[in-house]
Amino acid sequence: MMRALTVNNLHKAYAGTTVLAGVDLTLDAGEVLCVLGPNGAGKTTLISTLLGLVNADSGEIHLLGKPQLGMTRSQALRQQLGVMMQIGSLSANLSVYEQCDLFSSYYAQGYSAAELVALAGLEAQTKQRFGRLSGGQKQRLLFALALAGKPQLVFLDEPTLGMDVEARQALWQQVKQLRQQGVAVVLTTHYLEEAEQLADSIAVLHQGRIVAKGSPSELKALMQYKVVRCHSRLTDAELALLPAVLQVSREQQLITLHSHHAEQTVRALLQIDQWVTDLEVRPVALEQAFLHLTQTPATQQEQAA
Amino acid sequence: MNTVAIYRKEAWYDLLSILRTPAFVIPSLAFPVVFYVFFGVLFNSGGASAYMLVTYGCFGIMGPAMFNFAINIASDRAHGWLTLKRLSPMPVPAYLLAKFITALMFSLVIIGLLFTLAVLFAGVKLAPSQWVLLAGILLLGTLPFALIGLILGLTLSDKAAPAVVNLVYLPMALLSGLWFPVNMLPALLQQASWVWPSYHLSQVGLKVVGMDQGYALWIHLSALTFSSLLLTIIAYWAFQRLGAAKA
Repeated sequence: MMRALTVNNLHKAYAGTTVLAGVDLTLDAGEVLCVLGPNGAGKTTLISTLLGLVNADSGEIHLLGKPQLGMTRSQALRQQLGVMMQIGSLSANLSVYEQCDLFSSYYAQGYSAAELVALAGLEAQTKQRFGRLSGGQKQRLLFALALAGKPQLVFLDEPTLGMDVEARQALWQQVKQLRQQGVAVVLTTHYLEEAEQLADSIAVLHQGRIVAKGSPSELKALMQYKVVRCHSRLTDAELALLPAVLQVSREQQLITLHSHHAEQTVRALLQIDQWVTDLEVRPVALEQAFLHLTQTPATQQEQAA
Repeated sequence: MNTVAIYRKEAWYDLLSILRTPAFVIPSLAFPVVFYVFFGVLFNSGGASAYMLVTYGCFGIMGPAMFNFAINIASDRAHGWLTLKRLSPMPVPAYLLAKFITALMFSLVIIGLLFTLAVLFAGVKLAPSQWVLLAGILLLGTLPFALIGLILGLTLSDKAAPAVVNLVYLPMALLSGLWFPVNMLPALLQQASWVWPSYHLSQVGLKVVGMDQGYALWIHLSALTFSSLLLTIIAYWAFQRLGAAKA
């Protein structure tokens, strides 16, 4: 399998403030890598550095097997890249078709203008100017233009921002299709559900460092506990005394227990309270793993890893 | 990839986009025409119609060049359109050339309108070769102003660009003698007029109609060439600087 992206020990600082501190990443063809991180974590700087919009202070970047020096990205390479940036806009006075016609002319073996319009699902808005499209329609058009050259490596920076649920799911479907076609996708997002749906691997970026890497299930497994939910007659104090319980919380009548050995906890609970109802045991959600990883200083995370 | 097609489509869509912006088209064409009608036709008692044809021609071609480059490039930068284009395989010169061609198209229309007014209503009489030479000089003269606009567009925010272009454009026109002759200005400002490419362009144009201040042609041509080279270097630096800005 072809290695689409390799990043080694990437560093970037602005006026003495470290934005990227030794970032390492790899991505193979046909995989989706989600870069997760809170605002200001360095996600957009990372993407901008990989694309040559920003010069890295040090480190190595290989795109589609080729080493990249400084901010130069060859025209041959740009033919094989697709990009949708977080702040992305087109000429407000040109129509959907005209934008597609212009963009399709840039690529040697890309989609035609009509194909791009169809890819964006904007056949009914062909003559509508970009400035008059809704936020979601604009995002769909920008996504289609990112695929104009039938790229091998696609960078999507917060692609579903402003999209309604239907449009978001349609875009997820298209990303899954890209993966099936062997395209490598680097995606940054705030939506954990999106990462869980699409990612083969997730890199959690926090204060410029990758504090965790792995599949969604591997990241969740980093959290050494499960969640037990039920309705019970026991008081919080009694529940806290159950074996392996780390934390007790209650929302109206629904009790949530964090347990590092859920089976032991449930067995003991059922012995003490025979009136337990609505019992369920769940693995930790990605959101909890993410919050845990990004609420402690990045250096501590690294030491723990 | 067909490189000619990219250049052609960039040029066409840049022009189309501008033509769909009446707030740009109407003032760009109306300002020099209205000024010339007032001062070169209606209230011209001193036989200065040919003089004003040249100076308002210079004034006319400066505006679209500076405004199209400065405001649109600043806006393209602010909204991520330029970034998206830089990341695509589009050759950067295609983007810049498209804007220059748009500026030339506007210059051509302004020159055509002013020449028509000059012949029909102001009684300006020039030899055919003078008309052609004057039109050619004004068209070529678009370059330094396009470069000034490019530099402003690459360095200013989209909100600051319109105000700053006006701050450069209008005083430069005044101090170059485009509204009234330079020798009517205070002595210090007369000397300062040599700084502006618009002064040298107007002097070259006035030479064609035989109304210049009498300095050698090569001095004005050298000044225009030097200023264009200097502006090109600054524009190149400003473009390189884009990447160093915080993402």
